[in-house]
Amino acid sequence: MRLILVVLPTPEIGRSEREAIGAARALATAFDGEVNVALIGPVAESIAAYRVGASLASEASANARTFLIAHPMLREYAPELYVSALEQLLAAVRPDVVLFPGRTIALEIAPRLAYRLGTAMVTDAIGLRAEDGAVVITKPVYGGKAHAVVVAPRPPVVVCVRPRAFDPIKEGIAEGGIRWIEVTLDPLLRRTRLLERIQEESATDTALEEARIIVSGGRGMGGPEGFQLLGELARWLGGAVGASRAACDAGWVPASWQIGQTGKKVAPDLYIAVGISGASQHVVGISGARCIVAINKDSRAPIFKVADLGIVEEYERVVPALIEEVKRLRGAERA
Amino acid sequence: MRVVVCVTQILDPEIPPSEFRLNAERTAAAEGIGQQVISIFDENALEVALQLRERMIEREQVEIVALTVGPSSSADVLRKALSLRADRAILISSEGGPSLDGFVVARLLAAAVGKLSPVDLVLCGRETGDWHGGQVGSFLAEALGWACVNFVSRIEVSEGGFLMRRQSDEGWEIVWAMRPAVATITNDEANVPRLPKVRDTMLAARAPIPVWTISELVGDAAELWGGSGRLRMRELVIPSTSKACEWIEGETVQEKAARLVRALQERRIL
Ligand SMILES: Cc1cc2nc3c(=O)[nH]c(=O)nc-3n(C[C@H](O)[C@H](O)[C@H](O)COP(=O)(O)OP(=O)(O)OC[C@H]3O[C@@H](n4cnc5c(N)ncnc54)[C@H](O)[C@@H]3O)c2cc1C
Repeated sequence: MRLILVVLPTPEIGRSEREAIGAARALATAFDGEVNVALIGPVAESIAAYRVGASLASEASANARTFLIAHPMLREYAPELYVSALEQLLAAVRPDVVLFPGRTIALEIAPRLAYRLGTAMVTDAIGLRAEDGAVVITKPVYGGKAHAVVVAPRPPVVVCVRPRAFDPIKEGIAEGGIRWIEVTLDPLLRRTRLLERIQEESATDTALEEARIIVSGGRGMGGPEGFQLLGELARWLGGAVGASRAACDAGWVPASWQIGQTGKKVAPDLYIAVGISGASQHVVGISGARCIVAINKDSRAPIFKVADLGIVEEYERVVPALIEEVKRLRGAERA
Repeated sequence: MRVVVCVTQILDPEIPPSEFRLNAERTAAAEGIGQQVISIFDENALEVALQLRERMIEREQVEIVALTVGPSSSADVLRKALSLRADRAILISSEGGPSLDGFVVARLLAAAVGKLSPVDLVLCGRETGDWHGGQVGSFLAEALGWACVNFVSRIEVSEGGFLMRRQSDEGWEIVWAMRPAVATITNDEANVPRLPKVRDTMLAARAPIPVWTISELVGDAAELWGGSGRLRMRELVIPSTSKACEWIEGETVQEKAARLVRALQERRIL
């Protein structure tokens, strides 16, 4: 079985890519397969980036190869050009499984590629295994209330891996063959243009996906002021601030803070959910958290069903007390 | 300008896990455990279309057409669209066909968009609220050969195309897309769905809804199903999630806070 992981433009080749390789390696070892990595666009032009890519491939299987697709027209991201270039790569490599790491950009490229190749595709995979030549994939459905086990009887199949669902592999040492792939791109294919890119501010210096501790607020915060309090708590804890969809939709915090099915998937050691009811679509985004603390004024809120520790209280009263307590702890540690 | 909004009907996503059950074959949710509703991101898509029409009012007439593929009962989501003042709604009847997958739905929608020609913009929700496939909008763009921008929350008309605000992992982007275009819509504070007026809901309940059949749209239906079966559903399982929550109690909030910190230290988290 031949697998290929496609690395799309990203600020860094990081945990999401290493998780996808983790998933691929498990599949490849079971089937004596080979795992390849393809890098496309600016990541293929940066030696640092493609060495990381190559090292990932060599960690995953002995006969791994790294394909690089660089082209002047790929320096600026336009999905239609990326899809066209990847179509050419896959026609040459003919993999059985095309894997995409758990990043938003993958959800934009993968379906279009699958359509062109005429192959089955699954997004949000949390399980991946091979069975008599078929690929068996598990994904959450109904907002996480159920898991679907689906079978792609005949490869190829395109799979988008859900972030924080697979154990990441460690980075290895770059070795194995690197191959440049020539692609021809028709400028007339281009139908979109990226005009502006805005990075939204976050409450603390820690990125949500990488944070060891996350303090998250929901509709129960009642307004943006409540999030100031959560920001203070997060800073004392050395963590980041997240939110439910309801809080983002209310405009209290930026949409990029949203956690859940259609927001960020996170796996911190500690997740503190404040004024969040615990709808399945939110909880599915924190299933990798080691410890969940819920603070809610309603003892019947579903969040307590998934929490390890619970406080039934109005957040306005208990969060300031918690900040004081954490300050005291940090002060004592420093002394 | 004609804007098509693709909507679909799903099981109410708000039903709590405790009430969620599977059918006997374990291939879908049991029938009757909740209401059938319009998929949440399709509501955001309708809102984006309505706002676009409002902003264009002095410049150009915008016609909004709601489309769905499904059984006759899914006409309800079209009535919802009409109650929000979509101009027209058309049901593409899936009756008699095998189970729908994203490819089939996209091909039917593409054929319907062709029949509605000229269409300038097609909006879809970013993913359905039941299967979370996240594919139909992209497939549709491929089938039509149009520009596609995903995770869009606001749209303006601009020279030769559209300016779309697109959500990214770090924030957002402004993307220009050539007309005609497909956009998949995500939620943000600017596209929270409005509520229909009572009078419009009453009018929508009586509105005639044209039905287009599969054979009318694609001729040979067998060819259409040829691509399905690329994936087989084996089974659904319900994950066990219930944990035993340890309640942190105390006379005062200070006491509760102190006990929480201690519990976290004992678990070696702080
Ligand atoms: C397809 C789909 C995708 C979705 N994706 C996501 C997603 O990615 N992320 C997400 O979060 N949601 C998502 N949702 C929405 C989700 O279903 C819920 O609607 C949402 O998570 C509710 O947010 P909430 O818990 O903040 O609000 P609510 O459910 O309104 O809960 C507010 C809570 O605050 C408590 N509260 C109120 N006042 C106080 C106070 N003073 N102190 C303490 N507690 C208080 C209340 O008791 C209540 O439990 C999605 C839904 C669908 C259908």
